Amino acid sequence: MLKGHLDMIVLAALASGPAHGYAVIQEIHRRSGGAFALPEGTIYPALHRLEQVGLLSSRWRTAESGRQRRVYSLTKRGTRALGEHRAVWQRFAGAIGGLLGQLGHATANPDL
Amino acid sequence: MRQPTPISDYLDTLTSELGFDPPLARRVRQEVEDHLHEAAAGDASVEAQQRAVRAFGDAREIARQYTALSVLRQTRRTGAIVVLAVAGIYLTMKSRLAWYGLMQWMLTADLQDYGRLGLAINRCTFTLALLLGVVGWVYIGSRQVSATFHTAYRDQLRRGLAIAMAAACPLILSIVTDTVMTGLRLSSVQAGALALVPLLTIAAEMTLAILLVTEIYKTVRRAGRASSLLSS
Repeated sequence: MLKGHLDMIVLAALASGPAHGYAVIQEIHRRSGGAFALPEGTIYPALHRLEQVGLLSSRWRTAESGRQRRVYSLTKRGTRALGEHRAVWQRFAGAIGGLLGQLGHATANPDL
Repeated sequence: MRQPTPISDYLDTLTSELGFDPPLARRVRQEVEDHLHEAAAGDASVEAQQRAVRAFGDAREIARQYTALSVLRQTRRTGAIVVLAVAGIYLTMKSRLAWYGLMQWMLTADLQDYGRLGLAINRCTFTLALLLGVVGWVYIGSRQVSATFHTAYRDQLRRGLAIAMAAACPLILSIVTDTVMTGLRLSSVQAGALALVPLLTIAAEMTLAILLVTEIYKTVRRAGRASSLLSS
């Protein structure tokens, strides 16, 4: 299920500003409270794919360590896509929340 | 010589698994190297590096996740090169004909029939190549980037590549016709050193054809290597 939402998660992690792959993973861990236990390497194919479709852009920068680092940022299309993902997710979460709420109520009241 | 470390071993394995796409392998290696050193928090101990490598995931599995994107990119490149080759060949043909006009190099009467036949074949093959090239380019360009290299997606890319190959065949035939007709034309006149101009245009057409065939071969090879990585 998580894999199906990986693109949205990566876009959301980059919403606060440009970041390299490792920082994206740290941001996902931090904001999700460590709920997602994906192998860290999974992020990179997603970053490359999102760049290919024009939702992200990237460029090399030299890190303090002297190593080359690829830094990704949301493009305008990426920001728009994230907004759309967010709206769809909120509708979905609202619907499921309503459904689960009703189920919980039905369990508590077996006559219903 | 540097001693191998868990990170360098892992990077070697990942680069080798990504061998189906050498430019991608180089970029990924650089990115992942930075990631793993940062994940190990500058700790050069074997344990810290092993932890970072473990958290990153299996190299083959990571490489598999690049196959769909890599093959699509290469197929798109092939589609674009077909169109560019068609455009390039059109320009060289037109410039050669303009040169013939300028030099007033006509076919002799006994070669006129061959000339007409050659022209008809050339027009048909070139038009077919142009149509197929554009169709293939649009088809490949309109494919969505998939996260996985699943069967339906593989079929789509295979179809795109087949159209590109179908465009390359009449294009090559068109170049062969061009070459024969140029030979006929040059045999009809005393061209001397001036023959170099049409010969250069033919050389340019052949170069484009070689470039195209090389691209198609690279795409077939990449798709094959990506498929075998997935099935291993």
